[in-house]
Amino acid sequence: MADLAVELAGIRLRNPVVTASGTFGYGKDYLDLVPLERIGAITVKGVSPFPSHGNPTPRTAEVTSGMLNAIGLQNPGIDKFIHGAEYLPFLRTLHTPVFVNIWGRTIDDYVEVARRLEAEKQGIAALEINISCPNIKQGGIAFGTDPKMAAAVVAAVRAVTTLPLITKLSPNVSRIGDFARAAVDAGSDILSLINTIPAMAIDIESWRPKLANVTGGLSGPAIKPVAVRLVHECAKAVKAPIIGMGGITCAADAVEFLLAGATAVGVGTAIFTHPRVLVEIAEGLDAYLERKGLARVTDLIGQVRLD
Amino acid sequence: MKFQVQAEILRNRPIAAGYYQIDLRAPQIAAAARPGQFVHVRIPLLEHRVLRRPFSIYDADPATGRLSVIYKVVGEGTDVLSRRQEDTADLLGPLGNGFTPPDDPGVQPVIVAGGYGCAATYLLASPRFSSRRPLCLFGARSREDLLLVEEFQALGCEVRTATDDGSAGRKGFVTELLRELLEAPAACSLKVFACGPNPMLKAVSTLVLARGLDAEISLDHAMCCGVGACFACVVKRKAETPDGWEYVRTCTDGPVFPASSTVWD
Repeated sequence: MADLAVELAGIRLRNPVVTASGTFGYGKDYLDLVPLERIGAITVKGVSPFPSHGNPTPRTAEVTSGMLNAIGLQNPGIDKFIHGAEYLPFLRTLHTPVFVNIWGRTIDDYVEVARRLEAEKQGIAALEINISCPNIKQGGIAFGTDPKMAAAVVAAVRAVTTLPLITKLSPNVSRIGDFARAAVDAGSDILSLINTIPAMAIDIESWRPKLANVTGGLSGPAIKPVAVRLVHECAKAVKAPIIGMGGITCAADAVEFLLAGATAVGVGTAIFTHPRVLVEIAEGLDAYLERKGLARVTDLIGQVRLD
Repeated sequence: MKFQVQAEILRNRPIAAGYYQIDLRAPQIAAAARPGQFVHVRIPLLEHRVLRRPFSIYDADPATGRLSVIYKVVGEGTDVLSRRQEDTADLLGPLGNGFTPPDDPGVQPVIVAGGYGCAATYLLASPRFSSRRPLCLFGARSREDLLLVEEFQALGCEVRTATDDGSAGRKGFVTELLRELLEAPAACSLKVFACGPNPMLKAVSTLVLARGLDAEISLDHAMCCGVGACFACVVKRKAETPDGWEYVRTCTDGPVFPASSTVWD
């Protein structure tokens, strides 16, 4: 049995497998199907200061080797997240680190959520700042495609919380290393990437977009090579640990991200296909390390050979 | 309790033109399934598709572990599924809230179904779940699309039919049969359960609510996770929000909703 434990800015994970925000609800929905004590961490769905309906339907469309989504960050708002039994009080009962994804339309919104969670931080391992959602009009990706804006959000959140900060980066930029540096310099302890890739699908019978939002974020195996490249670029740009994600469906995919420079891996769309994949990736990593004669999963991080 | 199981395909055969019945060995799901729930199926050999397909549970036999689904070939997933024999399929289930089977002797259950929507109501008519035999109103495009009439009759149900082209039963929509039923003086003892296309469900809701009654309607929606995590399959439900509604998940808050709570866009 190899040592699968990794550390993200002082947060110890029993293995590198983390759920991607928006694909695992608030942790409760998969209880019967996924033994949470066997995954590294849970990232919960984005929380904003206000309750949000999200986008109109249809919100998702399947495409070859992937899917588009434009859920629009539907969420109960910070009050209900803190006090509703199925949200934070439930998450506090788990023996798995919990990352809370936060978003807003303005910098003040991000600060408001972070401030409220700072006061309720028992049971929260880190905050993940979502500056990369492609599906909301204000906030989200608007902050994630301008390094100055990204830095401003991270710095403002940093000022009101002592919790470790993860900044989730958008793939929709030409030089992602600039964003990695901007986020880390502004106080982000960890980076997570990639968020979904802005995309579109059209119904050729009705000639209408398949999503009510017209465009949505592409996820699934179709985006994996793009994500591996971007993780590699960020790993070259900063020393901060990275949670790499985008199309991971098996342990072999996870190994690629680790070699590219990720310390942990996020799994999202693959959970919809096969919930047990979270545990199977951890098991598969162990088998891979054994086959390679390696004692620790950390022996893989950033070890891609470029010579 | 939800299960993810690798289920053996026991039988997979056409029951009418374009319609299939698949029987699977899934003892845990068959034992736990209640009327109106569904299973989320990973279609075998469809590796380039990342999403499962939801199917209403038709029949479930805890004694043998058999789970049955009736489906219509409508796209790539169901087409590939219809050609699988001697294979297994990965199932998640049972999922969703399901119908509330009536036991009150003073209540006459009525099932209103369109097309193969009747399959989702079969367990509701089963003595395993209710002492009351529902009166069934089945509508379809034509005689060939009227399914399971004999199966419901075998449970002791009276089945009245309507077809769009008049090739079987009354010519016209099934909601005409419901309208007549609701006009009878004893209509206040009726409890309506409905499954079928949205226009039918909307018409059923309008009729039932106008009579001062309510109905349990089962909504069909494309889904991703099937367990409540992703918020893809949301529909509008009346709520005390500033807009008067909220988005709720078909997969876990439904698929069965009171007609009185549903907001039709």
